[in-house]
Amino acid sequence: MSLFKKTWTAEEADHWTMHDFLACLFGVLAFVLVTLGVAGSMLLQTWGYVALGFAVLFTWLTFKVIDPKLRALSEAFEKKQAGFLDSVERQNRWED
Amino acid sequence: MTESAGIAVVFTPLDWLWVVLLITVMIVCGIIFYRLGKRSEADFFLAGRGLPWWLPATSVYATHTATDTPMWICGTIYKYGMRGIWFPFFTAWTAISAFVSTRIFRRSLAMSQAEWQTLRYSGLGAELLRGWLAGWQTFMNMFVLAWVSAAMGKICTYLFAWPNWVGVVAFTSICAIYVLVAGYWGVIMADFQQGVISFLVITLVSFWGISVAGGPSGIVSRLGEIGEGWRLNPFHFDGFWGLDTSAFYTADFLTLLIMATLGGIGMGNFIDWYPEAQRIQSARTVRDASYSIWAGGFVTLIRNSVWAVAILAFFVMYPAIESEAQYEMGWFRLGFEHLPAGMIGIFFAGIIAIHLSTISTHLNLGALYATRDLYHHYINPEASEDKLVKVGRLNTLLLLLGSFLLGLTMQSITSWLIFALWLQAAGIWIPSLLQVVWWRFNSWAYLSSWIANLVMSWLVVWVLPEIGVLPDLPNYLNFWMLAVLVSLVYLPVTFMTDPDDREHLIRYYVQARPLGFWGPIREEAARRGLLTEEGRA
Repeated sequence: MSLFKKTWTAEEADHWTMHDFLACLFGVLAFVLVTLGVAGSMLLQTWGYVALGFAVLFTWLTFKVIDPKLRALSEAFEKKQAGFLDSVERQNRWED
Repeated sequence: MTESAGIAVVFTPLDWLWVVLLITVMIVCGIIFYRLGKRSEADFFLAGRGLPWWLPATSVYATHTATDTPMWICGTIYKYGMRGIWFPFFTAWTAISAFVSTRIFRRSLAMSQAEWQTLRYSGLGAELLRGWLAGWQTFMNMFVLAWVSAAMGKICTYLFAWPNWVGVVAFTSICAIYVLVAGYWGVIMADFQQGVISFLVITLVSFWGISVAGGPSGIVSRLGEIGEGWRLNPFHFDGFWGLDTSAFYTADFLTLLIMATLGGIGMGNFIDWYPEAQRIQSARTVRDASYSIWAGGFVTLIRNSVWAVAILAFFVMYPAIESEAQYEMGWFRLGFEHLPAGMIGIFFAGIIAIHLSTISTHLNLGALYATRDLYHHYINPEASEDKLVKVGRLNTLLLLLGSFLLGLTMQSITSWLIFALWLQAAGIWIPSLLQVVWWRFNSWAYLSSWIANLVMSWLVVWVLPEIGVLPDLPNYLNFWMLAVLVSLVYLPVTFMTDPDDREHLIRYYVQARPLGFWGPIREEAARRGLLTEEGRA
């Protein structure tokens, strides 16, 4: 399966795949690096600039990997949302 | 709270103009959404579930930028140097949550985390859990309101030498106006402009403070001169592990890192999850929900780093403060003691924005649990939308009054926050993951973990050290000890009680599509053809 898979069916997007794992991994790396990068850059440290550069890279990778999948599963779910919402409301009112 | 002596800050007419102008804009911005807020319970508490990602994202950031936050971050950075940046790093749970628990929770469509319990679990255990969480969250939101208001009281005492109660009551009451009138619509719209204002003010004051301290190069060279150069190193730990409670070990760092990141798989591991759950559900799509949580966390971490460098600047200027109550005010001192006249008002208006954005969230969120989960589900399931909005407003008012009573009794901000943010969550950290990823984990197990954690966290952290049975332990040891002790309760409970109702689990699985060990449920759902587009239709 391609790392930057662009086209997803609703059913494919409903499964947990390596794209979810990679988005989490890249996301965590982006968070660690932006924490270090902003502080280091404000102190004019070389390691700060490097960390900030990698933070931007991992942020881009996160969205590149996950966005097509998120779009597909999101659109598929919204079509069913009204029915699900009705069921949740009925449960809240003890009708179901 | 230990009161600092007031300082002689001179507010010019221009400063007061900024303050009045910004407060007016904030209140008006909230109130104009009155008509939208009163339409239904979903509007009063979730803005009709229709927000684009950047609105809840700003709210995530704004909510977690409270008046006590700079005190807490200042306390940790002043005490530990740049390695203290890992304490507030727990926000990084949003990096994984955005693509795991956020997605699952958004698909569940639960209005609150308490409601999610009855969608995920079934029977009496689920209802007990929902009632417990609803009551607990109603109280916790009052508690958060109280400590944030207490921080505002401390700032006003420091700044104007006002009696503590004036700062506790005055600004929180202003915020209550638009929360009462427009509900979550008012919260989210006011949060947007408060988030922007607060980020600009934090950046302005921090850079100003850094400049006053001699600029980045001046800070670095000065730290070297006074033998404190280690403070620049975010990985300067006091060995791998040990028992010194004032040290910062690699084990502390690893614990914080694991807790923060893997915690994103679970739901309810951190007190921050609860306001985030409301933002997740207010987003218009699953994709919007994911990006709102991710972006909100990302900006919060940028803010932490900006603050951290500003506190290093403060340390360089005032390196010998021993009292925690004094040095946790460092960032405020940078602004009030060093900004020129005319800008002080902008700074104070920024502080008010920071304060209101947090207060508004917790007023509305506490009222959500009291209204949706206690009143609507248990007391009056047939209530009309109009009645629910009115009850929502009444609950908002009760929370406000309760928070004033609590806020006047708070002591040290930093100690309370470290306890509340991670020690109190230690025992339920793993169960909060298990309830998401393991079908066999049931309501009785989760309920037992909560009760065991509440008892054990107080015993291990406060009571047993106080009476000499346990020594004071470093935070990381407290965390893991609590995690193990509480597991001795919920694991046996899991296997000694029945699994949740299979039909209920299948319905939940088909809608939410959770990650992890759901094999038997997934197979049954697939056998019935419920996992295809046609089957779900």
